[in-house]
Amino acid sequence: MTNAIQYTKRRFEALKGAIAGDDEDEPLAVIGREESVSVHLQLWLLVGMVVFPILVAVVVSTKQQGIVTSLPDLIPGTYAVENYREAIVDYGFGRFMWNSLLMSVVVVVGKLVISVFAAMAIVYYRVPYKDLVFLFVLFTLLLPVPVRFIPLFQLINDLGWGNSLLAITVPYLASATTVFILRQHFLSIPNSIVETAKLDGVGPVKFTLQVLIPMSRGVLVGVSIIMFVYAWNQYLWPLVIIDSEANQVAQVGLQLLQGDVQGGQLSWSLVMAGSVLTLLPPLALMILFRKPLLETFAIQQK
Amino acid sequence: MSTREIFDGRLEAALLLAPTLLVSVVFLYYPTALAFRTSLFDAGFGRAEEFVGLENYLTLLESSAYHRSVAISVLFAALVVVGTITVSLYLTFLIHEVDDGQGWYLISVIWPYALPPAVAALVFLFILHPTLGVLTGPIEAVGFDVDWFNDGPQAFLVVLLVAIWKQIGYNVIFMIAAMKDVPDALTETAELDGVGRLRRLVSVYVPIMTPTLFFLVIINTIYAFFGTFAFVDLLTSGGPANATNVLIFDLYREGFSFFNFGVASTKSVVLFLVVAVLMVIQFRLTEEYSYYGA
Repeated sequence: MTNAIQYTKRRFEALKGAIAGDDEDEPLAVIGREESVSVHLQLWLLVGMVVFPILVAVVVSTKQQGIVTSLPDLIPGTYAVENYREAIVDYGFGRFMWNSLLMSVVVVVGKLVISVFAAMAIVYYRVPYKDLVFLFVLFTLLLPVPVRFIPLFQLINDLGWGNSLLAITVPYLASATTVFILRQHFLSIPNSIVETAKLDGVGPVKFTLQVLIPMSRGVLVGVSIIMFVYAWNQYLWPLVIIDSEANQVAQVGLQLLQGDVQGGQLSWSLVMAGSVLTLLPPLALMILFRKPLLETFAIQQK
Repeated sequence: MSTREIFDGRLEAALLLAPTLLVSVVFLYYPTALAFRTSLFDAGFGRAEEFVGLENYLTLLESSAYHRSVAISVLFAALVVVGTITVSLYLTFLIHEVDDGQGWYLISVIWPYALPPAVAALVFLFILHPTLGVLTGPIEAVGFDVDWFNDGPQAFLVVLLVAIWKQIGYNVIFMIAAMKDVPDALTETAELDGVGRLRRLVSVYVPIMTPTLFFLVIINTIYAFFGTFAFVDLLTSGGPANATNVLIFDLYREGFSFFNFGVASTKSVVLFLVVAVLMVIQFRLTEEYSYYGA
């Protein structure tokens, strides 16, 4: 176990270096100028390929008709404001975005709270059959949505939750991954701190608020981003269980914009405006919180 | 380790565990059990359930359409894994080697982690659209006829490209950490021995990164089987002529186009077995490597 923690710590350091770009162990290899140029060129090429599709989406979302049939057509247009307004207001995409946001925030907050509770019990309480309990939680990794969406559909409808916020949030609240990451992190908090808290007679609430949370900020932010991206990007389950446009999420709502395209009513610029809008929240969070996010990933693998 | 157990209250512990356990039982374990049960019934919308034993399983065993779907999924998963790992590994290596701007390069290749699958699908639908696509013209200029609305293998290729594109970010995130872990001494030795750049990647870095690479093989396989539904649904709807009818899409159609909940549940059970096998392999490998590393 100590080894694992040491390993995780080394990973933290490595990642921190990579993110901050402050690579302390400067290039080991004394690379020649030519080689350096070649590495940069290859990176530019590959980065270009990874980014190109989204750049096209952004450009198209600013054009009048969104017809871009050749590369020279890829000059930004001047219809950005109209397009985004039309998508958000006329096509109700604002509503879809709001529903997605609501779903994601409820999932993140709910999952975070109940997973912190569970991980706390597993690490800091004397619980009989603790290993079994942990295994029971971990075993749910075998049960992703695609394996159970057919019976889940029946269950949610039997509960009368069909087409509601409950249907797209509650089934996501239990998370083996989050409990696992938090457990690993709690186990890496130095024992001396925990023992001091015990000697001081600190109760569970005080311990959580004054020791656990302050010492876990990075991980809590990291898992929150992971959970947000996961919830926001859900497609299959909302598609199946939500059947009114008023309650639909952005992922599935995009298709409704596309429906008009196939009906011959144009308009790719609207679909791309919707796509850019749908990409923005998870992308912004990821870029903003990349440091804690990457540190948290380092724990997940172990 | 036991010294961490500083609190005694059993009731408190039970209350803390209750929400996670309750949601797990009601929304994860129970539906799964229900799938196993329904797989033994003839069940659908508006008709009485009838116990049929293993008939649904026999139906799948004998269905050539289902066999084809299995074959397509396995091929698809293999190509997603190989494609994603190769591209990501080379990208990671370049970022690892570059002398300047590492942070920027990293963020500009890991962002697809946040990319919604539905957005990825629609953007590709537009870029490679057989008549409207931006890239269609240039590709056809080289003498290749873009016709993936009708051509099965082409449709398969388009879905594959989207799937790899979306998964690169996640892979690079894990690979860059693993590559940074390679001891400097090894890199130096390799340099002194005059080992070339690419050779160093293949013969020095890859072997040391094996645990991470295995982890990613499993994660990417699970992703290829289950995380690609939106691509198929939005790009090809399983067509043309079922060329992209992967298992997860096939299951969706069985349930929500044909409303055969019995057979659909049987197909769910098959998918459950796929995840189970993959997870067991991952668990075994992780254990092995943690001993090896200790």
